[in-house]
Amino acid sequence: MALEIVVMIKQVPDSQEVEIDPVTKTLNRMKARNVLNVADENALEAALIIKDRAESHITIVSMGPPMADEAILECMGKGADRGILLTDRAFAGADTYPTGLTLAAAITKLGKFDIIFAGEETSDSSTGHVGPGVAEFLGIEQITYTRSVRFEDGNVIGERELEDGIEIVRARPPVLITVRLGSNIPRRQTLRKKIDAIKTGVETWTLQNLGIPAEWVGFKGSPTVVRSMKTIKEKERAARKITVSEIGELVKELAGNGVIKMEVEQQ
Amino acid sequence: MTGLINAVPTDKPEEYRNVFVFLETRKGAIVKSSLEMIGIGKEIAEKVKEKLVCILVGNDLAPMAKEAGKYGCDKVLGAESPDLEDFKTMPYAHYAAQFISEEKPNIFLIAATHDGRDLASRIAVKSRTGVTADCTVIDIDPNERILLANRPVYGESTLAEILCKNHRPQMATARPGVFKVPDAQDGRNCEKDIRRVRVDPDLIRKEIIGFRPKVEFDITDADIVVSGGLGLGKKEGFQVLEELAKELGGVVGASRPAVDVGWIDRDHQVGQTGRVVRPKLYIAAGISGKAQHIVGMKQSDIIIAINSDPDAEIAKYSDYFINDDVYAAIPELIKEIRKLKGEKEVEIST
Repeated sequence: MALEIVVMIKQVPDSQEVEIDPVTKTLNRMKARNVLNVADENALEAALIIKDRAESHITIVSMGPPMADEAILECMGKGADRGILLTDRAFAGADTYPTGLTLAAAITKLGKFDIIFAGEETSDSSTGHVGPGVAEFLGIEQITYTRSVRFEDGNVIGERELEDGIEIVRARPPVLITVRLGSNIPRRQTLRKKIDAIKTGVETWTLQNLGIPAEWVGFKGSPTVVRSMKTIKEKERAARKITVSEIGELVKELAGNGVIKMEVEQQ
Repeated sequence: MTGLINAVPTDKPEEYRNVFVFLETRKGAIVKSSLEMIGIGKEIAEKVKEKLVCILVGNDLAPMAKEAGKYGCDKVLGAESPDLEDFKTMPYAHYAAQFISEEKPNIFLIAATHDGRDLASRIAVKSRTGVTADCTVIDIDPNERILLANRPVYGESTLAEILCKNHRPQMATARPGVFKVPDAQDGRNCEKDIRRVRVDPDLIRKEIIGFRPKVEFDITDADIVVSGGLGLGKKEGFQVLEELAKELGGVVGASRPAVDVGWIDRDHQVGQTGRVVRPKLYIAAGISGKAQHIVGMKQSDIIIAINSDPDAEIAKYSDYFINDDVYAAIPELIKEIRKLKGEKEVEIST
């Protein structure tokens, strides 16, 4: 029987195109194009690598505004079989709790699943909390921050990147995996698959389809609220102009301040 | 398992007291980022005259409980079993959540390490409460006992203050390396409640089958980073940077475009889609200064930019700006550092 794989993705503003406002020094995200979150591309690739070797069916699930169907189609153009967009005004303003709940409700509705993939975090929120939240709602184990994942003899084996090394973990499905940004090279879409994706289309599910109360999702269902946003005062930097002939002085200054160490071995 | 269930406001938040800190351990010792949590946890507990309670999950906890006491923890709650020797998400989250339901803490902090983030939102969901990720500023409103959890957003340009007013505990993960490790002292009072537990076999669903200690390159470990961008003009430019980095005892970094054209491996990429570095000295050679890169290096102590373009954006983020050719400036830096080292050697030998 084919492995049932779910990949959770998010459409985010392209960090390459985000500009820094010269006055406020905050990121201007309005101008940026929306793209598939990069770590989610790596998550999809990890799923596709499994599909290359073992018969698998990949479903993309994403919560977002109607235009996020583009990101889902892109995933289908790379080899995902089905795409579901969870979109409803009720979902807006969600923190990590109801985001996880909404995604978990959709995955529950899908029925059987073996492996759920997600990126380690999104580039616009950077919490890394949604994936593990989904695993908790579904009552399954997880392997987070993986740099490689393989499916072997019915087990999932993931290599986790930790602060002090690589931990190799084995788990029996169902399991949720989060994938490290840049851990693989995502494949490109193929024309054939792109055409198929457009033919198949993206399914849209609303709150009604999920069968959970409106108070549980979105802003209403969020335990946390943002009270204030303050611009972080950037460190004032002098941009002191140094010519090449003054580099000797600069080096002495930095050595004097202990910024660079001369590390002369004492005899 | 929690099942599909919403977060619920707590009936009597005033009954929730004390600050909990989850301690991450490695080979029988508390990791540094968790000691930092003891520091900030104690600070906010004292502001509202409450206790700091540390949670330990693992095996042979006594030495770590003792250590926690030295750093200022008032009470240790532990769940101990040979089955908990290795980090496993489900049983670890189970015992942390069980301690929460028994003891009703007002606040719960975890260091935002990979294991910390792995656990935090599972504990939050089990407790049907909120969690604020990766905080860099943490305080408490002394009257309302509301946790003021501040986290940088939008590429570190903005600090968002996030509250969890109606749900308990108020949870946060906090960025490693930001808060101070408190001083250790012998003879402090610390109550210990370590329980031998029998772990439900249904919670054991993964096993750790290997561990490779870090030997490979990690740019975030370096005190000095010398980065190059497309302005180097050629792949060989990185060899020149390598030489300077070696002279400084640092490592080589790169902008995303330099990685994309294949001049250097992705491990070296600094920026929003690479690594965020905070070294003592950051040298940006031939990097124009796109937002994507700035986000990854602007927290460095000292920044030197080298760029032949007088209007390069990177200049605004630099302490020193060498407005010249990279291939004039870098060899000069190498030469001057060697010269200074030479002088020092002479001083010592005389």
